[in-house]
Formats: sequence, structure tokens, C-alpha cells
Amino acid sequence: MIPFAAGVAGITAKFTTAESLVLVDLAEQLVELLEERAPDVTGDVLYAQLGIGGSSAPPLDPALARLLPDAYRGDDDAASNHRRLTEQSLVERKVANARRVVADLSSRDVVLDPVSVQSWLRTLTDIRLALAARLQIETDGDTGLGDEDMLSVYDWLGYLQGTLVEVIE
Amino acid sequence: MSQTLESPRIDEREAPQSDAPWVTIVWNDPVNLMTYVSWVFRSYFGYPREEAERLMLLVHTEGRAVVASGGREDMERHVEAMHDFGLWATLTKEDA
Repeated sequence: MIPFAAGVAGITAKFTTAESLVLVDLAEQLVELLEERAPDVTGDVLYAQLGIGGSSAPPLDPALARLLPDAYRGDDDAASNHRRLTEQSLVERKVANARRVVADLSSRDVVLDPVSVQSWLRTLTDIRLALAARLQIETDGDTGLGDEDMLSVYDWLGYLQGTLVEVIE
Repeated sequence: MSQTLESPRIDEREAPQSDAPWVTIVWNDPVNLMTYVSWVFRSYFGYPREEAERLMLLVHTEGRAVVASGGREDMERHVEAMHDFGLWATLTKEDA
């Protein structure tokens, strides 16, 4: 891998085939995970049409719960109401970001325009949040439990994101 | 929290509020990079670098920081934006 750097063509990075496949796979898994929160079509039709037909209860899956947190703490009614009205559009934006990352990875020489930079920053974060939930990284200092490969990927994604933040500074 | 903020968005806090103001709180998590959190505070809220760093460190060391205050709808919008970035944020009434 050649990490993110600013070049004449924009922000660039170069991945090996294996790295690129891992990134695509993770971004696609993120999309699948998020799509578990698809709107309940048997619910309110008007809300569904407006894209606000979301669930009012937080996800049970800890990874999804971290990606789609409650907006209110200690006020379940306000949290439920807010979630019902906003969660679907949040899911849609996260899915769109992840799909853009997948599209950008169609070439191993990745060139990011300003919109893609925003998608990459958010999607790398979302993937790391989901992996951290699986690895039970819950508080500062947790080094993670479980699959060594997943831990390596988690660390690598952190490094990758770090280089992207550095480049846009 | 400091009131010495320069972003136009943040100036909304100075608009007359009939209710007690609401605040946006960002909570610490073990995943987000410190550089990323600081960049989010600068790019989204428009904080100068030093203030963004101070707030980021407050989140890191104290476990949370108030990053904006104002009307409830604005704070809901900020919280949603933080969730877009993958930061863990909530809103609450300032005196709650």
C-alpha cells in the first residue's frame, strides 16, 4: 500500500489487490449490516414514503447500535421519537458513503475528489466502529479480543484513516 | 464550556431562546482517532484549531464535552451530523 497523499490529481492512494479486496468486502459488509435496518414496509405508509419509517427501538446488535446511537440519553421517549424520524436517512447516507468507497476501489490507484474524501472518512470510521464492537473494544486501552486477522485489519484501517486525516489537514 | 466560539453556526446560541438552551455532547469512545475528532470539530462546527483540540482533549480525558448549545432543533441537527461522522453524540437540556 502507498497510503493517502496529496498529488496533482487530488488525494491518492495505491492498494494491493488483496488490500483492495479487503476494503471492498468490509464496505459491502457494512452496507449489509446497515440494510438490516431497512424500513418496516408494513408500518406507516406515509412515513415510509418520506423515508422516516424507521424503527423506534435501538438496534440489538452492538455494532449497529454504535453506528446508529440514541440521540438522547436517559430519555427513552425522546430517543425513540428521534430515531423513528431520522434513522432511515442516517442509514441511507452511511450506505451511500460505503457504496462510493466501493466504487472508488474499482481502480487500485485510488483518486479521491472532495466528496469521496468525506465518504471515505465516514466509512472508514463506520467500519472501524463495527469491527471494534465485534472485537469488544469498549473503552480506551482495550486491545481487542478475538480474531487476530480482524485485529490487524482494525489497526490497519486506523493507520489508513490517520493518513487521510493528515493529508486533508 | 467556553463561549468564545467563532463559527456562524455557533452564533445561533446567542439568538434569544424562550426555553432553556439545549446542548450537544460528544462522548469519548475508544475507536475514533484524536486527529479525526479534532478535524470533525473544525470542519463541521468551524472551530479554530486550538478550540477544536481543546474540546477533543476534553472528550478524551473527561469522557465528554459540550460542543455546541442553542435551540433543540439545531442540537438535533448537530447530533445527527456527529452520527454521520461516527462520533457518539447526544443532546440534552443544559440544566438537565
